[in-house]
Amino acid sequence: MNNVQLIARHFVKTVFRSNVFIPVFTVWLALIIYAAVTGYTTYIRENKVRAAYQKKARESWEANPDKHPHRMAHFGSFAFRMKHPLSMFESGMESYTGNAVYLEAHKQNTVNFSEAGFSTGLLRFGEISVAMLLQLVLPLILFFLGFGAVAQHRENGTLKILLSQGAGFRAIVWGNSIGLFSIGIIFLLPVLVSMLLVVAIQNQAIPNAGLLIRSVVIAGSALIFLWIVSVVAICVSTAGKTSAAALLQLLGIWLIWAIVLPKTLQAIGSYLHPAPAKIQFETAVEADLLKLGDSHNPDDEHYKKLKDSVLRANKVDSVQQLSFNYSGFQMQEGERMSARLYNEHLQRLYDIYDKQNNVSYNAAFIDPFISFKNIAMAFSGTDFTAYRHFQQQAESYRYNLAQTMNSLQMKYISNKKLGSNDKPYSIERSHWTTFPDFRYQYQDLRAIAKQQCIALLSLLSWLLSSLCCIYYTSGKAKAI
Amino acid sequence: MYILLFRNFIRSRSVLVALMLFFTVGIISIIIGRQFLLKQEAAIESVTRFQQAHIERNTQFIKNDFGLLMYYLKFAYINKPAPIAALAIGQRDVNAAIQSFTIRGLEAQRYDTDLYNPYNLMTGNFDLSFVIVFLLPLLIIAFNFNLLSQEKESGTWPLVNVQANQPLGFILQKLSIRFVVVLSLLLSLLLLAKFIIGIPVDNAFAAYSIIAILYCIVWFGISFLIIAMQKNTSMNALLLLSAWAVFCLLIPGLVNNYITAKYAVPEAYSTLLKQRDGYHTKWDKNKDSTMQAFFSHYPEYRKYVWTKPAFNYLWFYAMQQLGDDEAREDSKAMQQKLVKRMLVSTRASLFFPVMHTQLQFSNIASAGLQQQLQYLDGTVYFHERLRHYFYPKVFGDSAVANEKWKMHVPEYFTADVRIRWLPLTLPLFIASLILYGAGVFVFKRNDLFK
Repeated sequence: MNNVQLIARHFVKTVFRSNVFIPVFTVWLALIIYAAVTGYTTYIRENKVRAAYQKKARESWEANPDKHPHRMAHFGSFAFRMKHPLSMFESGMESYTGNAVYLEAHKQNTVNFSEAGFSTGLLRFGEISVAMLLQLVLPLILFFLGFGAVAQHRENGTLKILLSQGAGFRAIVWGNSIGLFSIGIIFLLPVLVSMLLVVAIQNQAIPNAGLLIRSVVIAGSALIFLWIVSVVAICVSTAGKTSAAALLQLLGIWLIWAIVLPKTLQAIGSYLHPAPAKIQFETAVEADLLKLGDSHNPDDEHYKKLKDSVLRANKVDSVQQLSFNYSGFQMQEGERMSARLYNEHLQRLYDIYDKQNNVSYNAAFIDPFISFKNIAMAFSGTDFTAYRHFQQQAESYRYNLAQTMNSLQMKYISNKKLGSNDKPYSIERSHWTTFPDFRYQYQDLRAIAKQQCIALLSLLSWLLSSLCCIYYTSGKAKAI
Repeated sequence: MYILLFRNFIRSRSVLVALMLFFTVGIISIIIGRQFLLKQEAAIESVTRFQQAHIERNTQFIKNDFGLLMYYLKFAYINKPAPIAALAIGQRDVNAAIQSFTIRGLEAQRYDTDLYNPYNLMTGNFDLSFVIVFLLPLLIIAFNFNLLSQEKESGTWPLVNVQANQPLGFILQKLSIRFVVVLSLLLSLLLLAKFIIGIPVDNAFAAYSIIAILYCIVWFGISFLIIAMQKNTSMNALLLLSAWAVFCLLIPGLVNNYITAKYAVPEAYSTLLKQRDGYHTKWDKNKDSTMQAFFSHYPEYRKYVWTKPAFNYLWFYAMQQLGDDEAREDSKAMQQKLVKRMLVSTRASLFFPVMHTQLQFSNIASAGLQQQLQYLDGTVYFHERLRHYFYPKVFGDSAVANEKWKMHVPEYFTADVRIRWLPLTLPLFIASLILYGAGVFVFKRNDLFK
C-alpha cells in the first residue's frame, strides 16, 4: 500500500511541477467561475421575472368584478415554470422546454416561449454550464495529464527501474489512478465550492427544493465519474505501446463517449420510434373528442342521453326544475371527458418519447458520460421528467380551475333563461380570491431516484468495472 | 512525386477506414435530413386535408351563425421548408412550421409551439450541417496532425529536407493531397444529397457548397498553423483537438450565454398577459368605448351600426382585436429583442468561422432565426387578411352557405433569402488568409532558429 501512496504522491507532484498545470488550471477556474456566475444570475433573474409575472397575472385575476363563473373559466390563469436553484449547475433541457402556459377551460395549451425558440441558432453548439465543463472539458484535461503517466516511463526506461525496485504493476496503476483522481478532485473543488455556496444561500429561501441531498448526489456522481475517467486514462497509458498512441486512443475514447454516442443514440432512438407531428396528434384528439360528443352542440346524441338520465335520476321532467344549474353540470361532464381523453393521448405521445429516450438511458452502460449527464440533469431539476412534472401540475391546476368554476355555476346560477333586457347572472368576486394561485412544487427526491435508477446503477457498475480494469491491465502490462 | 505521395497517403488502411466511416456518417445524416423533410411534408399534406374536413364539418353544424362559425374555424399558414432545409435543419425543429389561426386574437395563437421531445432537441439534429461543421474538422485533424511530426519522429525528415529544396513546399504538397481527398469526399456527399433529396441546383445550393469548401480550407489552415509550429505528434493532436473544442464548443457556448443573459426576453410574458387582460376585461367594460376603440383602428367598419345589444359578434371580435392591440407594443418589443440577438450573433460570428458557417448554413436553408422572425411577421399579415375577408361576412351576418369554402386552403410563406456573396464568403477568406500567412511565418521563423 505504501508503494501506491508513493506513486500517487509522485504523480501529483509531477503534475504540479509541470509548466502546463498553472495555465490550464487558471483557464479552468475562469471558465467555472464564468459558468457558475452566469448560471446563478440567470436562475435569479428568470425566477424573479417569472414570479413577478405570476403575481401580475394573479392580481388581474383577483381584480375581476362580480360575474358569471364561466367567464372566469375562460379568463383563465397562467403557470410559469420556476427554475430549480441547481439549474445554475446543469442547464440540461431547460432551454428547450417552454416556460409559460395559458390555462383556460376546454383547452390544453402548449407551454410556450422556450429559450431555444428565441435562439439565433448558436444554442446548437451547446451551452456553457458547470456540468458541461465537468462532462466535456475536464475529462479532456485529465486524459491530457494522464496519458503519459505509465507510457512515458516505459519510453524513458524508468518503468524498468520502478519495477525492479519492487513496485508491482498493480501498485503502479493504482497509484497513478489515485494520483490522477486527486488532480481531478482539485479541479472539482471550485465546482463544489460554488454548489456549497448555492446551498448555503438558497437552502433557507427554498426549503422544499431538497437542495442538500440533490447536491450530495450530484457531487458523489461527479466523484465516481472522475474516478472512472482517471482509471481509463491510466489503463490506456499502461496498455499503450507509446505515449503518443495512448493519447490518440484517449482522444478517440473522448470523442466517442462525449460527442458521438450521445448524439447518435438519440438520433437512433427517434428513428426507431417515430413520434407523430403536432397536426396528426391534434387531429387524432379531435376525432376522438367528436366520438364523445360535443358539449356545445345542443342536439348532440351523447349529451341528450346525459340530460335524460339526469332528469330521471332527479325525478323531474325539465331542466328548470333541477336544484342545480344544468349547463354547469354538462360542462363539468364535458371537461372531465375531454381532459381525460387529451391526457390519454398525451401519455401515449410521452410513451413514445420515453421509448426514444430509453435508448440513451440504457446506453449509460456503454457510456459513463451519459450516466453522469442523466444524473446531473435529473437532480438539477432540468431533465424531461422535471418538465413533465411541471406540465402535469399546470394541467391539474387548469382542470381544477375549470371544474371549480363549473361547480360554482351549478351551485349559484339559476336554470332560468334570461330575457334580452335582464341583468346577466353573476356571482360575487370573493370566489375568485378564494381560489388559490398556481404554485409550482419541485419534484420529490424519491421519484427522481426511482427514475434515475438505471443511470445510478450504471455508474456503480462502471465503478466496479474500473476496478476490474485496473486488475486486468496490470496483469497484462509489459515493462518494455 | 505528387502521385507517389498521393498513393502513399490513400493506401494507408486507417485513412481508408476513416474515409469510409465518414462517408457512411454523411449518408446517414443526409437520410436523417430527408426523413425530417418528409415528415414536414406529410404534416403539411395532412393539415391541408384536415382543414378541408374541419371546415366541412363546422359549416354543416353551424349553418346560420357566421360569427359563431368563425369562432371555431382555423386556417393554416405554413412555413414550407425548401428541399435544402434537409441539409441544414437549423431552428426548424424548434419552431413550428405550421400554425393554424382562427380570426380571434392573434397574439394568443402565434407563439404556440410544436410537439417535440426535448431530449432530441438537446442532443441536436444529425444533419449534414452537423457533419460538416463538427465532424469534418475532426477528419481533417486526423489526416494532418502527424503530417510533419511523423516524418521527423521516424527519421525521414532530414532526408526530405535534403532532397526537396523547399521543405515548406513539401508540407503544402502533402496538405494539398489531403485537401483533395477531403474535397472529393465533401463533393460526393453534396452530390449524393442533391440526388437523394432532390435539391435543385440553384444559388442556395451553390452557396451551401461553397461555404462548406471554404470551411474545409479554414480547418486545413488551422492544421497548417499548428504543423508549422513543429511540435511532436502528441502535442499536435492535443493542440488541434483543443482548437476544435474551443471553436466548436466553448466560444459559441460563451457567445450564446452572453446573448441569452444580455438580451433576456421578458416581453414574451408581458405579451401573453396583456393579450389576455386586453381581451377578457372588455367583457366587464363599457361596450361603447370598446366599439369606439375598434372603429378608430378600423374606420372602414363604422358602417356596421352598433345598436348596443347584450351580445353580438361585432362587439365580440372588437374585444378580441383590442386584446391584440393592447399586446402589440410588447410583442413588437419582443421581436426587436430577437432582432438584436440576431445582429449580435451575426456580428460575433464574423470572427469565428465555425459559428459563421453554422449560422450561414441555416440562413441559406431559410431555417434560421431571421426567417422565423419573417414568418412571425407574416402571420400578422395573414391574420389581418383573414379578418378583413371575414369581418364583413360576420358583421353583415352573411349566409354560411353562400361562402365558397373550398377556396380556403392553407397559405404558404416563403422566406426572402437573398444570397449576398461578399458577407457570406469574406469572413472565411480572411480567416484562411490569416491562418496560412501565420503558418508560413511561424514555419520560416522556426527554420531560422534551427
